[in-house]
Amino acid sequence: MNQDVTIVICDDSVLIRKKLREMLEDLGYERIHEALDGEQAVAIAQEHRPEVVFMDIVMPVKTGIEALREIREELPETKVIMASSVGTQTNLKEAIKLGAYDFVQKPLSAEAIKRVMEKATNRGES
Amino acid sequence: MFTQYFGHYLLNRNLVSLPQLHEALDQLQSTRVKLGVLSVNAGYMSAAQADDINQLQATMDKRFGEIAIDKGLLTEEQLGELLSAQKESHLVLGQALIDQGTLTLEQFQEALEQYKRENYLSDEQFEAIKNGDIDVLVSTLLKLDQTKDNEWYQQYLSLLAKNMIRFIDGQLFMEVNAIPRDYHCDWLVLQRISGQAKLTTGFSMNEQAFLRLASAYAEENIAAPDEMAEASVGEFLNLHNGLFLVTMSNHGVELELSPQEISRDASLPPIKSGLLITVYLSDVSFELVLSVD
Repeated sequence: MNQDVTIVICDDSVLIRKKLREMLEDLGYERIHEALDGEQAVAIAQEHRPEVVFMDIVMPVKTGIEALREIREELPETKVIMASSVGTQTNLKEAIKLGAYDFVQKPLSAEAIKRVMEKATNRGES
Repeated sequence: MFTQYFGHYLLNRNLVSLPQLHEALDQLQSTRVKLGVLSVNAGYMSAAQADDINQLQATMDKRFGEIAIDKGLLTEEQLGELLSAQKESHLVLGQALIDQGTLTLEQFQEALEQYKRENYLSDEQFEAIKNGDIDVLVSTLLKLDQTKDNEWYQQYLSLLAKNMIRFIDGQLFMEVNAIPRDYHCDWLVLQRISGQAKLTTGFSMNEQAFLRLASAYAEENIAAPDEMAEASVGEFLNLHNGLFLVTMSNHGVELELSPQEISRDASLPPIKSGLLITVYLSDVSFELVLSVD
């Protein structure tokens, strides 16, 4: 089931991309693409039309907030989960206003990723 | 964290040598604080009375606690309380130094008192510090360097200490210094904060410290200063600054972060005034650059 879900990880840190990919692979997800900044995330999302995008906020070239706005405009079905260390009131309000699906505060834990993926794919036990 | 502070204090006062301190710190995991040290620390008996019991103990097959109760120096309740406090870590350091023969119990107690006096600590503050209250420890540390930006520094450094202990190394010691002229960095990881205040934050480190921090944060061995090492140290600074922004946001102060800049063989960017904080871990040290511009 999880194999069918396409995910894009967008983070400028190779460490975070690696750790998040490992957590998602442990949950059985296989279709994972990586983007290094907001601009790449928009391009990769257009190409692969993912169900879920994990989006960092502080990034060079294009911030996660700008990329969120563009992805939501073009792919309203895609659930964009903000995954950032900067969960400030300003960022949270802005992300909600622009239609972010959820916000995961870094440091990322396997448990938090599991929970948010279950919610995003409606596969929780609720 | 107080253990490291007190260890450095003993070192600076020439009460212990560096090898003795290292040996004692290495022993922390396997040392159990003896009841004599705990009883004196709690104020239930004098160091001389504790020594008497220790000597008696050598002549009879009885435990310290039993003898102390027999002599009316401890109640059952006090003994129970002491037994549960046996892991308090600055006392573990004291015990290790006493076991080594480096200090006597009296000298250790006297050094603790001296530390309290020299840092102008109230009984309450000293208790808080001994019990691991990092906020109080950092605020007393910063008293040595009064600046108008102290409030920012206090918030920032308290959180850094907590994050260092949480993600990198439990044995942490920080020392505040001024930034010397022509300061040079082997590795410089910088991140700027803007908004209601402008701060420059960064780690300046040699390669050994760079790899040590990178490996600890990534939770894997990173042996070369490659892309993963840069990402790991950069992400740790980014995480810490992000959590700092969240804390400030909860206090009604909104700030923004810029992406980190990592450079090799670099000088510090021009900053108006700031602090250079030497951060000592169990095996390496590096400098934290912090300025309110």
